[in-house]
Amino acid sequence: MMESLVYIALFTPLVSALFAGLFGMSQRQVFVGIVSSMLLFVSFIASALLAYHVATTGNSVSVTLMDWIVVANLSIPFGFVVDHVSVTMMVVVTLVSTVVHIYSIGYMDHDKSFNRFFSYLSAFVFSMMVLVMSDNFAGLFIGWEGVGVCSWLLIGFWYHKADAPREKNPSISPSWAANEAFIMNRIADLGMLIGLFILFWHTGSLQYDVVFAQIPELPSIVLTLAAIALFIGAMGKSAQFPLHTWLTDAMEGPTPVSALIHAATMVTAGVFLVIRAYPLFELTPEVSYFIAALGTFVAFFAASMALVNRDLKRIIAFSTLSQLGYMFAAAGLGAYWIALFHLAAHAFFKALLFLGGGNVMHAMHDELDIFKMGGLKKYMKWTHVYMFLASLSLAGIPIFAGFFSKDAIIETAFNEGTLVLWSILVLTAGMTAFYSFRQIFLTFWGDERHNIEHPHEMYKFALVAMSPLALLAVIAGWFKNDFNSFVINLLPNYEMSEHTHHLVWYLGAIVLAFALAGIILAWVKYGKGLKRNEKVENRFVYKLLANQYYIPQIYEALISKPYAELSKFLWKKVDMRIVDAIVDGIANFIYTTGDEMRKMQTGNLSHYLNWMAGGAVFLLIFAGLLSMLG
Amino acid sequence: MIGLNHYLIISGLLFAIGLVGVIRRRNLLMLFFATEIMLNAANIAFAAASYYYNDLAGQMFAFFIIAIAASEVAVGLGLLILIYKKHGTLDLDDLATMKG
Amino acid sequence: MDNILSILIFFPAIAGLLGFIVHKQSARAYGISVAAIEFLLSLWLWISFDSTNGAMQFVELIPIIPDFGINYYVGVDGISLFLVVLTTLMTLIGIVSMSIKSEVKNMVVTLLFLEMTMVGVFVALDVIVFYLFWELSLVPMLYIIGAWGGPLRVYASIKFFLYTFAGSLIMLVGILFMAYEYHSEMQVWSFALTDWYQMGWFGLDKQLWLFGAFFIGFAIKVPMFPFHTWLPYAHGQAPTIGSVILAAVLLKMGTYGFVRFSLPLFPDASVMMIMPIAILSLIMIIYTAMVAYAQEDIKQVIAYSSISHMGIIMLGIFAMNSHGISGAIFQMIAHGIVSGALFMLVGMIYDRRHTKLMSEFGGLASVMPKFALIFGVMLMASVGLPLTIGFVGEFLVLLGFYKISPIITILAGTSIIVGAVYMLSLYKKTFFGPITNDANKSLKDLDSRETWSLIPLVIIVAWLGIYPKPVLGPIDTSVSAMLEFMEEKASMQNTKDMILTTQQAKEGN
Repeated sequence: MMESLVYIALFTPLVSALFAGLFGMSQRQVFVGIVSSMLLFVSFIASALLAYHVATTGNSVSVTLMDWIVVANLSIPFGFVVDHVSVTMMVVVTLVSTVVHIYSIGYMDHDKSFNRFFSYLSAFVFSMMVLVMSDNFAGLFIGWEGVGVCSWLLIGFWYHKADAPREKNPSISPSWAANEAFIMNRIADLGMLIGLFILFWHTGSLQYDVVFAQIPELPSIVLTLAAIALFIGAMGKSAQFPLHTWLTDAMEGPTPVSALIHAATMVTAGVFLVIRAYPLFELTPEVSYFIAALGTFVAFFAASMALVNRDLKRIIAFSTLSQLGYMFAAAGLGAYWIALFHLAAHAFFKALLFLGGGNVMHAMHDELDIFKMGGLKKYMKWTHVYMFLASLSLAGIPIFAGFFSKDAIIETAFNEGTLVLWSILVLTAGMTAFYSFRQIFLTFWGDERHNIEHPHEMYKFALVAMSPLALLAVIAGWFKNDFNSFVINLLPNYEMSEHTHHLVWYLGAIVLAFALAGIILAWVKYGKGLKRNEKVENRFVYKLLANQYYIPQIYEALISKPYAELSKFLWKKVDMRIVDAIVDGIANFIYTTGDEMRKMQTGNLSHYLNWMAGGAVFLLIFAGLLSMLG
Repeated sequence: MIGLNHYLIISGLLFAIGLVGVIRRRNLLMLFFATEIMLNAANIAFAAASYYYNDLAGQMFAFFIIAIAASEVAVGLGLLILIYKKHGTLDLDDLATMKG
Repeated sequence: MDNILSILIFFPAIAGLLGFIVHKQSARAYGISVAAIEFLLSLWLWISFDSTNGAMQFVELIPIIPDFGINYYVGVDGISLFLVVLTTLMTLIGIVSMSIKSEVKNMVVTLLFLEMTMVGVFVALDVIVFYLFWELSLVPMLYIIGAWGGPLRVYASIKFFLYTFAGSLIMLVGILFMAYEYHSEMQVWSFALTDWYQMGWFGLDKQLWLFGAFFIGFAIKVPMFPFHTWLPYAHGQAPTIGSVILAAVLLKMGTYGFVRFSLPLFPDASVMMIMPIAILSLIMIIYTAMVAYAQEDIKQVIAYSSISHMGIIMLGIFAMNSHGISGAIFQMIAHGIVSGALFMLVGMIYDRRHTKLMSEFGGLASVMPKFALIFGVMLMASVGLPLTIGFVGEFLVLLGFYKISPIITILAGTSIIVGAVYMLSLYKKTFFGPITNDANKSLKDLDSRETWSLIPLVIIVAWLGIYPKPVLGPIDTSVSAMLEFMEEKASMQNTKDMILTTQQAKEGN
């Protein structure tokens, strides 16, 4: 019974992808979207039932479908495990996916590649399910690469758009952004692969349970290297510095994709990996501390770029990056369950935020510059409410989901005594509130700076479909204690010390003060309308932030361009002029020698006789010399 | 007393004369004569060596060479006549048709 | 069917000779049916193959020159079985998809003759027979490139022929020397590979020299850096069918030679040469991937990518454990399928536009969605996406070589990055963006013949990616047996330490 539920949860998205793929090259068919959404809903129901099963019985469900790769002592099955961690991810993934599928029926309404879109989207969900459900690292890697490909397909969904110079469009084109995302992820995947190799050669297996059972006996250098390698993999998927540039460029994809892949699910795979492999990271405190520090840095770094950005989707993308930093900070500090909790809460409110952004784009005819919006709340009441709720949640205002999860992370930083991290995280919380509400005010409030006659609200059913996310963005935090008691069956519990416990109200108040200050500042500056200040916009810091610290340009100048030039040099100079020229040189030497020797053959018998006589004399002398030498 | 060395020297001298003829001469007929001289030089050496070693094989060899030289001249002269009929000359410098 | 191997070898050749009397119009149909029968025969071979047995099967032995121990001696094991199947499959699909219009009959006959030589190379167990087929295989390919090729075809075909021929001559010297060594030790002549395997220790320096002689012959065929420059010319000038066979099968003869000859005959020398070969392989992987990225011609990108993938295979062969070697052999099959399909795809676009320059294209995904889809699948297999055929081999090779050297594995692992770079940029330049060239606006998508010749390959790519066991199992059995044997034969302690047999790997845990 439970086994078939596992298969239903896993394979209905695949069925959906194949079904939609059948119609991939034909005209838009609404029923394709409807059937896909229904299949995803089935997957969600199955996941929810499994969650109920796991919660009530406390047992995990494992199934093995068949063998995949079997060579010598390596044996990788297609094995799946539904335990407290994976079932949490399954529920989150299928829930958000179902909402996004339904929403996409409306959003992609006018796109001629409607069917293809659903095929890709469902294929993504399938890969993501493989990633979270697999019971071994190789299966995780299948999903890991699978979501990468689906992300490539979906970012580049509007592949027909031409490349634009970077000044006009920082992401150049959808297909460029897709390739960038894929290649950057591949860099990280190499790290992950190496991590797999290290674990395999030291434990003889890639199954989670076998590996984790043997880990305590391994030398610490091995563990450290394995942890570093796996974390490099996580850095790519979760877009941590310095592999972060692809995430904002990935916004070239359709907005539902950004909501599902680049906010709620795929980018959290890195966090999931760290949580899943916690027995390893627990034993490598240095690596874990590095993860926490890097996470904190990214939280701040991404938030700083969001402060001045004018692109609706990019702001949300930066905030995703920043929140991923929070999750890594929690996981690195050992609060795995808090990281998972924030992951789930973030999935809800961030997907909601993105889908709201999609509504705005729809109304604004794909305009993304928030400086050219404003005053939309009277046209788009529901979207405004949704995005406002999501922003409150993101800003960490009490009673909303984000408050419970983010506050817990900041508390953890304090509890661990890492006060530097704590203060950065608190500051970042203030910045988060500022940029989220800057966006809300510039989009929905103040003066109307657009020239669209009557911006229309999204379809009703899409708005209804978003409601579960809105609900969860508000209330998800209320179940923090239930969630805690659920996942600590598998994950180590993390509790604040007595000392922190006493201070918890003050700590919360500090964070809240920062958040409120951010909102108020945003209100003061943008609540009434946009007043641009040339002097501020021309400041170095402003330009630095608006250009993402010039990192994309630096990458291009230091990596892409030299790589292309070196390639050209290797081809034209080394391969053609040296390697091939040597081969041809040898051949030419033989040809020319032959050609020169041909001149001996004059056709004159007398010359031949001379040569012959000369040869005979030479041989005689040679033989004589030989006999004399002995 | 005349010994083996004297014969060999004569033979060597004759061979050298023949060789120089082969190298220097341009007329095909002269080349034939020069070749004959070289063959006969070899014959002298064979016969002398055969006598001094008391081994008849050498003299038999000399007879063979004479026989071969005779047949060679017969065939060769026939060819020469044909060449002369065709080209009107026996000068090697004018007969370089096999140039590579 | 005890003589299945002889039938497999000679059936296409005899059918090819008979092909001369077939009418011109039906030459193609004749070729397809012969190749199909041959393919079915090879499938029969696979089905009746005992995959639990690592030794040679279906062995046939007919003395030819008994005084010198030269016999017609053939057999298959798990290592060669799938190369035979690959050969018959790719020949069949090549003939089905063939689009040349002139001299079709001659082409069919040539291909059938080529099929004989390729099957012969993979099943020969007598070194002289092996060498015969090895050299004979050059002739049809020379003819295919030289007669149906592009403007530089004569230069390309002669370069291909002389270069590989020069290498094989050095190998021939090695073969003769090896036979001489065998004679000095055993007092009888024998060219049977299985006899040579049994030879005892004959000195490290001799082993190294022999290894070198065989190395040159095989390395030029693979082709290993720096002996690779004939390949881009050959591919650039060859007709589609020639490129397909060349990339899919002929290159595998080189790597097969390393597995069949170098490793078991000279285990000590092989272990000593791990590092030099690993470094050459690394250069192949990274350097040619970069060169591929710089190319302007689609076909040249794929030609250079072949070299890069062959680097992975070489690395796996010298991993000295079953993970690496089995992975390398699996990768040979995978590369055969994937590069064959890619060359066919390039040929299809060339048939339409008579150009292969990327700058001429752009936005093809809009007008040729089916073509773009299949190209995309093959591209993903080529960059080694899990659940496609390309991943299994690459993963196993890297996993296996990690045991030898983590650093080199990390560097070689960059192939998954640089491979993605050139392949994705190729795909973007050709298929994405707006249609800038008017000539591309009215391109026809794949017709049914083209589609049906590609679909089997797509199915194989997915099937062996998801369930590689039917192929990997027999390979692993034979490779494990070979490693066992190498370890036993090795004379130096260092060699024994480096070779990790399956038994040891299992006991390790």
